[in-house]
Amino acid sequence: MKLILNTIRKIDNDQLKEFSFGDDKSLEEKLAASFLNPVDFKKAKLSSSSNVKISSPNCSVIVKGYEDVNVPEGMILLPVSIWSNQLTNIEQGEIKYKNLSVEIELTNEPVLSFKNLLKRIKGV
Amino acid sequence: MKRITCSGCSLLCDDIIVRTDGLFIDEVIGACIKGKERFDQVTSPNRITNPMIRKNGELVKVTWDEALDYTVMIIKKSSKPLLYGFSTITCEAQYNGIELAKEIDGFIDSNASICQGKVFENLLDIGINLTSLTEILNKADLLILWGANPAETIPRLLNKVLFSRGKFRMTGREIKTLIVIDPVKTASFKVMGVRDLALLIEPDKDIDLIRTLKDECCATNAIPEKGVAGIDQDDLKRLLLHLTSAENGVIFIGQALLQPHKNYNLIKELLELLQLINERQSKGRISLILLGGHFNMAGFDHVALSNYGTYGSLQFENKKLKNENTTLVNKLKNEEFDCSLIIGTDPISHLPYSLSSRLAKQPIILIDNKKSATYHLAQVVLPTAITGIESSGMAYRLDQVPIELNKIVNPPSNIPSDEDLLLQLITKLNSKDEE
Repeated sequence: MKLILNTIRKIDNDQLKEFSFGDDKSLEEKLAASFLNPVDFKKAKLSSSSNVKISSPNCSVIVKGYEDVNVPEGMILLPVSIWSNQLTNIEQGEIKYKNLSVEIELTNEPVLSFKNLLKRIKGV
Repeated sequence: MKRITCSGCSLLCDDIIVRTDGLFIDEVIGACIKGKERFDQVTSPNRITNPMIRKNGELVKVTWDEALDYTVMIIKKSSKPLLYGFSTITCEAQYNGIELAKEIDGFIDSNASICQGKVFENLLDIGINLTSLTEILNKADLLILWGANPAETIPRLLNKVLFSRGKFRMTGREIKTLIVIDPVKTASFKVMGVRDLALLIEPDKDIDLIRTLKDECCATNAIPEKGVAGIDQDDLKRLLLHLTSAENGVIFIGQALLQPHKNYNLIKELLELLQLINERQSKGRISLILLGGHFNMAGFDHVALSNYGTYGSLQFENKKLKNENTTLVNKLKNEEFDCSLIIGTDPISHLPYSLSSRLAKQPIILIDNKKSATYHLAQVVLPTAITGIESSGMAYRLDQVPIELNKIVNPPSNIPSDEDLLLQLITKLNSKDEE
């Protein structure tokens, strides 16, 4: 299913807070998350414990999916984090954090862990 | 009890009361959730209090001498050092950072270049109406949040500017109109009252709205009957009426308006719209405020401009400023660097994978007081004092006004300030040169 991805700052899903006071588990719980409109949530056959695979032309991540009535239909929101920035892109020589085309699908694969993300970035 | 300025975000609230004996902070009164977190970082379990070097894949504690020698060795080996961050340190430290870049013929850039700094690129051509928080507090009657959600990013901003009762008016919130333009119904929509205007715009259609308003400024009846970008005709007319009849209006711009587009420059068109509106303005004017998050995001450009006559990124060659029109993105994308010195930021988290993976290929020297993704990949980590609590200096508030930050307690383990550490690095590099 095609959606528009926007990365946003949320006070309850704040990376700086988790790095300062949390651990890898809380970081993953708060930041490896996505928010969809209930209509899209249903269309993608997600449930409250579902994981979502989000793919951009360059990369993909697996995060938890949550319903949020404040998100417009056709859009998926990710809190600004190391997870969301696997999907962000360069356009016109600048970083594009908003309005990115992504493909989403329900998956049984586990959420991509912080340690594995670091390994991917390091190329290990 | 002491009244101090909070360095939790770019609002730099100067009305925070702290109860302290000079050794510990016992109580913080008046801070928002982000401010409280800033003070809590002093005793955070994840705080970095020792210099560290990566040995056999693990970061291990070392002495300051060993860490600084190792840092200097990495820099000396490098022919293309890249310095980045600088928006959570004081202007004095930013100045030392630029001096360090000059000393080592490096490329230096701040977080502003991927955020509010983009607006300044258009200033020379078009001009801009900026305003101050004091002006907004006392006089504003129209507040527009465009692609910005300060309720969650700068929590006390709306408390201050929306609910304040100004010196020059007998009225407060009741005469202020709040307009929020955003595709997502963010937390900032929740403070809206009956006279306010919520405009849920279609994603990435800001340009259509701007162009329609520009057309309407030049010729009447340019607003189509069906509306524009998901906003109906009546709401568009109300928006334009507010813009042209407000006595003192301000538009707060967020990250959503700073995104790149293939066929147009959104910021340029927004600034042109503001000019047109201010020409039509019958009572006052409309100004802009750029909402950067980090407490001194605005400072780097001021320091660079006052010392080197330019803003944005700086490239040095033979210890002189080189006139090179390049960006952080290009430097990383083309891998035109062989080591990086990162200060007070987390580019491994904040940059797209295509750039963070390139940054991770070369040795990273991290100067910071908290753990981050960059910490986990850094070759050497140098901790510093928490600015505005354990060290003092100047910072530029989001309205470009310089504010003094004060030290209230000593840092643990005699950790240096960012300013002192950068100066130590310059001194050590020079002494190694003499050897």
